[in-house]
Amino acid sequence: MASVSGNMKGFYRQKKSNTKSSKKASAKSGAAQPTALVSHGDDYSACEAMLRQFDMNMAYGPCAGMTRTARWERAQKLGLNPPQEIEKLLKSGKVQNESLWDGRI
Amino acid sequence: MGMDSEKNSLCRLQCSYASLDEVFEIGKETYRGQQYSQIYFARLHLMRTLLYSLVSQWKPQTPVCTVLGLEQGKECVIVGTLYKHMKLKPCILDEYSKERSAVPLVRPHNFMHDDDYLVLEDESGRVKLGGDLISPSVFVTGIVVALHGKETGAGDFSVLEVLEAGLPPQIEFPLKSREDKYIVLVSGLNVGSSDSNPLQLQLFIDHITGHLGDEKEQSIASQIVHVVIAGNSIGIPRGLVNGQNLASKDLSRIAEPIKELDILLNQIAAGLPLDIMPGPNDPANFSLPQQPLHRCLFPGSAAYNTFRSCTNPHSFEIDNIRFLGTSGQNVDDLEKYSDAKDKLEFMERTLRWRHIAPTAPNTLGCYPYTDSDPFFIESCPHVYFVGNQNKYESRVIKAGSEGQFVRLISVPKFSESGVAVVVNLRDLECHALSFGTQFSS
Repeated sequence: MASVSGNMKGFYRQKKSNTKSSKKASAKSGAAQPTALVSHGDDYSACEAMLRQFDMNMAYGPCAGMTRTARWERAQKLGLNPPQEIEKLLKSGKVQNESLWDGRI
Repeated sequence: MGMDSEKNSLCRLQCSYASLDEVFEIGKETYRGQQYSQIYFARLHLMRTLLYSLVSQWKPQTPVCTVLGLEQGKECVIVGTLYKHMKLKPCILDEYSKERSAVPLVRPHNFMHDDDYLVLEDESGRVKLGGDLISPSVFVTGIVVALHGKETGAGDFSVLEVLEAGLPPQIEFPLKSREDKYIVLVSGLNVGSSDSNPLQLQLFIDHITGHLGDEKEQSIASQIVHVVIAGNSIGIPRGLVNGQNLASKDLSRIAEPIKELDILLNQIAAGLPLDIMPGPNDPANFSLPQQPLHRCLFPGSAAYNTFRSCTNPHSFEIDNIRFLGTSGQNVDDLEKYSDAKDKLEFMERTLRWRHIAPTAPNTLGCYPYTDSDPFFIESCPHVYFVGNQNKYESRVIKAGSEGQFVRLISVPKFSESGVAVVVNLRDLECHALSFGTQFSS
């Protein structure tokens, strides 16, 4: 931490001194975006986006701690009619079977 | 028995038996790091589907909405899981609390307080419940109900009426008049503990196996067709199982109660069918549903095909009469978090809520199921028993949309009371069988 000497404005930086922008900066709305809101740099396709929507859909229950396939099967078993496209995607094996929170929480 | 060739030797009556414990067996489940939110979701979905079908007859004109869809002043019906906020309930965060004075130094046995309030939750949100109709002392966390009321200006939901799931449908009780056949329920044998009286237990075993008394008494014993032991059969001295390494002489002391129990069960199993359920003090897993005690614990008894090690809760059918019972954990937990005039009232409430253990997994250990809730009662039992209680009590309730009737039985701890319960399968009448060993001085 910098020592507080005289000028308080100097202590609290008004803008980022680091001018190098991250790889995704061009896709986001501004250079001063807090890093927490920027995606973690993983490149996710439209398929993954659709699976994330499935994860976040509250009608099928919580997604943390379950694989997507298990959650789809549970939704099917409980009569919730989960979309068939999700099942096709999961069966194709080209996508991640773990939910988006896996390893993050 | 070969000596009395002139008289007919007494034969024990037989009964048909079917075990329905498959739903409580965990063998097929795998733990993949899931949390308890999954079982709550499964429970809510299962019971909400059921309640929606009942709501359409209960309040046909009132709209049904989710918690987040509540509009102030508009009457509607919401369905969700109840959560009871309890001031005195021990919380792990109390350790980190700065206000030490808020935590009572002496832990009460019952955690109720006048300031407790109820909250209704579904996936969309939660709302605090108000109004005089819904009493926090009756309900506990984990019950799924439908509520009719409206949102007040303060943001609470003022409850006008409550709809519980009610008793599930019941298979027909076989009515044709038959002979008297009895099933004996006993619990809390506590073999090996200093409280248990071996003579009393031996008297019990000798009586039901027909080794006691004259021909009249033996003919009574021959009508006993089944025995169920509802938990806490073993009383291992507490000091031995405190996590420290044991000396070799202590190791054999741990095994003594189990060996003694095996010898006793051997005597019973040689005579009639026996079911043994694990209880809170038995060497089985802690969380519900407790898995059957392992066969290797009973090298002598397990050789008999009359010996059955069962889960807790235990569900079975004898002569087409359905029984459901637990070793007491569900009712004991309800007693800590709610109020009732007796244990049978707690049992009746679990039937009305259609759930054996609503406080699981909140305050009662439970396996983290992901896609089902095995404690949901699909079919109403004819006899519902709970073991390891303080005294013998019994009552018949007649409730439910189809006029279901259930015999509720609170089975006392045998080591303390010397009382076992006998149920007549013909009419579900029951009485106590008590054994005493007072020697006149």
